[in-house]
Amino acid sequence: MVGEEQKEDSPQWFKVAITDGRKYKKPWLLSSIQSHCSVPFTPIDFHYVGLRAQFFISDASIASALKDVSDKILDDNSQKISIVVSPTIVPNCERNKLKPEKMEQLKVAMKKRYLASHQALDLQSFRFDPILVDHGIDMILNRKSCMDAALTIIEEDFPELLSLNLRNNKLYRLDSLSNIVEMAPKLQILNLSKNELKSAWELDKIKGLNLKELWLKGNPLCRNYSNNSTYVSTLLELFPKLTRLDGLELFSTLSCGNGKKKLPVCKGSVYGSDTLKSLIWQFLTEYYYIYDHGDRHVLLNTYHDNACFSLTVPFNSDDGVLGSLNLYSKSSRNMIKIKDSVPRTQLLKYTKTEIVDFLSALPKTQHDLSSFVVDTCVQTENMFYFSVNGQFKEVETSYLPHNCDFTRIFILNRTSNSSLCIVNDQLFVKDIRFDEPKTDLLIGHIIL
Amino acid sequence: MSSVDFKTYVDQACRAAEEFVNIYYTTMDKRRRLLSRLYMGTATLVWNGNAVSGQESLSEFFEMLPSSEFQINVIDCQPVHDEATPSQTTVLVVICGTVKFEGNKQRDFNQNFILTAQASPSNTVWKIASDCFRFQDWAS
Repeated sequence: MVGEEQKEDSPQWFKVAITDGRKYKKPWLLSSIQSHCSVPFTPIDFHYVGLRAQFFISDASIASALKDVSDKILDDNSQKISIVVSPTIVPNCERNKLKPEKMEQLKVAMKKRYLASHQALDLQSFRFDPILVDHGIDMILNRKSCMDAALTIIEEDFPELLSLNLRNNKLYRLDSLSNIVEMAPKLQILNLSKNELKSAWELDKIKGLNLKELWLKGNPLCRNYSNNSTYVSTLLELFPKLTRLDGLELFSTLSCGNGKKKLPVCKGSVYGSDTLKSLIWQFLTEYYYIYDHGDRHVLLNTYHDNACFSLTVPFNSDDGVLGSLNLYSKSSRNMIKIKDSVPRTQLLKYTKTEIVDFLSALPKTQHDLSSFVVDTCVQTENMFYFSVNGQFKEVETSYLPHNCDFTRIFILNRTSNSSLCIVNDQLFVKDIRFDEPKTDLLIGHIIL
Repeated sequence: MSSVDFKTYVDQACRAAEEFVNIYYTTMDKRRRLLSRLYMGTATLVWNGNAVSGQESLSEFFEMLPSSEFQINVIDCQPVHDEATPSQTTVLVVICGTVKFEGNKQRDFNQNFILTAQASPSNTVWKIASDCFRFQDWAS
């Protein structure tokens, strides 16, 4: 350990600053530097200042070795990491470091507050601890030197710590507490209630902890949340494993009962209103009448000039799809299979002429309107967005007739003369013969 | 949308859709509690014919569902015409795949989303304005 090898009288101190170091996580940064540095080193008081990360060392040979590491490390974006090493005065954390005899008294006070059976340490209102007061030790945990001393003892004497109570210590920032992530990695319960924390950002500094239970009530930050669910979700974002907050079970509704969750019952069409229902059905009846029985070019004026259409099928064209579904497969715009931007754009039919030309080339069909299930998702005064699930069969085909399931999404826009036109159209087709084992069941639904 | 920048719109939509699908289903399967944060405050969901709207109701709804394992087989997307959603960059995302909800058999599903770009100073965040989910064999 470098610090211990130094003589008490004249250690020379160096500040090691990593430009843009804020971008990197401490463990990664330090281990990268260590692996490029010719001599082992122990960073003192690692912290972030502005965009920099910095720490101190007290050995001239290490300082020069660290200087050599500058620009040798590349980050994930191949950016060089530059390190600036400069001589400095004794850093505050060292100057304020508790003297060994005070550390001993602190240890005594902390051991008295440790409950081994629960691996729990109770440091609430620690400044007023009689042992500390009697020995003239002013433990202000906001001070880095004090928090560092407490954390050092935790790391050495209570490495299995599960629960830490820091209630009522006037904590307004958690920079010094951030080292707890490494020093008490098993910590699951943390009580920070009745402190002076003003923002959830402070907790970001300790989010590496796998907390299951957290207490925050009595901090100003609680007043920032008008409703409880934002408060809860903010904290869950920081501590995803949290199950108790301020003493309350977060998911009590889930843990009651026998714990088995059930899927909601599946229901039929959703229209929103009767007006909308008749409007959608009028559109669908007219559209599919022409689509099934007429020349599909007639649909031209149903589309907006700059409408979009695309098609997907659940098979790749080279999966050996039989017969006419192959025609659909060839045009399937499945972005999982088609990665390149050019074919992606080509497969998206754009402008009404291109769309009706494409639709006209598809096989003749017979849609079963009685099978249609409509989900109306968004409706504003001038925009309607719904999806239709149903079945059709191919007719007049030289192949064996296919029965297909489809899902089609329409986005309609009301034009200035109040007629409706299609601006977006997406069709998903699935040959149900390929669908084991429910095929028999569905065939029964197909009416013609 | 002039045809010159149509491709730009398509590319933007594709990027948004792919990134979104990745985040959405990972969150659904692994961090369900955070799922409702991907929705706008006014978002609507139609889940196998059950209509749910508003972030809080959505969050309750998702908590109610058994844990899931989604597998995505098909993704498609389209930029939504700006006449339909004036002054809003909007994308339609269409997904098909299989899902296994705990205690249920594996089933095929179709899902489609309307995403809206929410510009923030540093980047664009896409939020769900609408979500429609159905099992392909919902009636059986």
